Amino acid sequence: MAFRSSITIVASPRPRVGKTLLARLLTDFHLNEKRRVAAFDLNVGDRTLAQFLPEKTTTASVRDTTGQMALFDHLVAYEDVTKVIDLGHESFEAFFSVAHQIDFVEEARRRSIAVAILFTITPDHTSVEAYRNLRTRFAPATLAPVHNEILGPAQHRDKYLLATGGAGIVRMPVLAPGLRRYIENPPFSFADSRMGEGVDMSAAALSELQRWLRRIFLEFRELDLRILLADLRSSIRFGSGT
Amino acid sequence: MARPTVILVGADKGGVGKTTVARTLIDYFGAHQTPTRAFDTETPRGTLKRFHPDLTEVVDVTSVSDQMKIFDTLGSAEAKVTVIDVRAGLLSSTLQALTDIGFLESAKKGQITFAVFHILGSSIASLQEIAETARVVGDANYFLVKNFINNTTFFEWDPATYNSYFKKIKGAEEIIIPKLNEMAYEQVEVSSVPFVSFIGNKGSKGEPANNSFVLRGYVRHWLGNVWGEYDRVKLVDLVSPKIESNVRQVAS
Repeated sequence: MAFRSSITIVASPRPRVGKTLLARLLTDFHLNEKRRVAAFDLNVGDRTLAQFLPEKTTTASVRDTTGQMALFDHLVAYEDVTKVIDLGHESFEAFFSVAHQIDFVEEARRRSIAVAILFTITPDHTSVEAYRNLRTRFAPATLAPVHNEILGPAQHRDKYLLATGGAGIVRMPVLAPGLRRYIENPPFSFADSRMGEGVDMSAAALSELQRWLRRIFLEFRELDLRILLADLRSSIRFGSGT
Repeated sequence: MARPTVILVGADKGGVGKTTVARTLIDYFGAHQTPTRAFDTETPRGTLKRFHPDLTEVVDVTSVSDQMKIFDTLGSAEAKVTVIDVRAGLLSSTLQALTDIGFLESAKKGQITFAVFHILGSSIASLQEIAETARVVGDANYFLVKNFINNTTFFEWDPATYNSYFKKIKGAEEIIIPKLNEMAYEQVEVSSVPFVSFIGNKGSKGEPANNSFVLRGYVRHWLGNVWGEYDRVKLVDLVSPKIESNVRQVAS
């Protein structure tokens, strides 16, 4: 791989669009791929991610400079760790404003770290604007719109321009309603070997859950390739990174 | 062909961030490969010298021998730009001294480029200084600098009054120094290095430093904006018409 590791930011300016579930899935996906992973929880007052991934999650904040230093200095540290950020809607503005000012994406690139933003699309104007803004301000990052199908059909998808050369939208299929209660109560992990561990689940339910998970992990694998491709492209465009 | 250039950075009040502005100027000319020297008039112990020890000499601008040291060497010194950080309260009297030695006359004749960076304080008194200074400055390039670096500066002037003073000076230009994150500012103070070195993560002797990436980012962004102001007023054209500046390039 051209890049050594990646940082994925799971973001949306809207609450309750499935960001934390997506961040959990992504973290478990990387664990499943036998990568070293660190997750960062930027939700205010909500520690859901930490409850599911207690050993992997660091609670972070961008409200003051000390918090910003703790987070961003850690993110760009020279270490072979894949990082996932669960960016709560309250921190959306502040996070990206600091990231823009300090040239976070460019610095990460210089350190061979690829940055991707997973953006859950919703029809509201705020989200469409925020997405457009990210596209212009963070051009070297891979910006991938996510359609969480539980939020309904994505008739608004043409409002979200895809990045040049980017494939489609990352799809997050709906999980059968009866299965939701299994994954919504900690402890629960999607990482293969441990899935369903300690959970009283029927074989049929387990296999349904696994089918759902395979579809999502497939999307993540494609996303990995897109990040790699985007990285190669920009290496060609900007001259191979230093 | 570059003419010797003298930039006076002053204010009639202390604590308005003169030295900070002088530091950004030294970095700016450094980035444009323009040899620069600086005089710090805060005798006996200069703040500017702490940040730029190799370029800075501490002088007493009211003493004749030190005046000779600065002005008699303008043509012969290797440095094309001379930045003088004038101690608080001495701006008017320094300008008066420059008139007396005929320096302003040479500037008028175009033998020397002369610019004044007047850092404004927050009070109305500082507006009266403008009028007073304007009288002496004559044809110099006059820059009125509003310094928001610490955000502690609360400007109490009303725009109409300010503009009436501002208009008294023909060709005066306004420069805005934006706010810099407090922690970033403090960290540079503690490190005692030029802003450019801090951004490039280097210590005073060029050795690698261990500055926070976030703080370096804030300083880079801020210095980029400050230099953007200097570009806007075409500062570099005063010295010699040339290239654009880019903070990131210089720092990396």
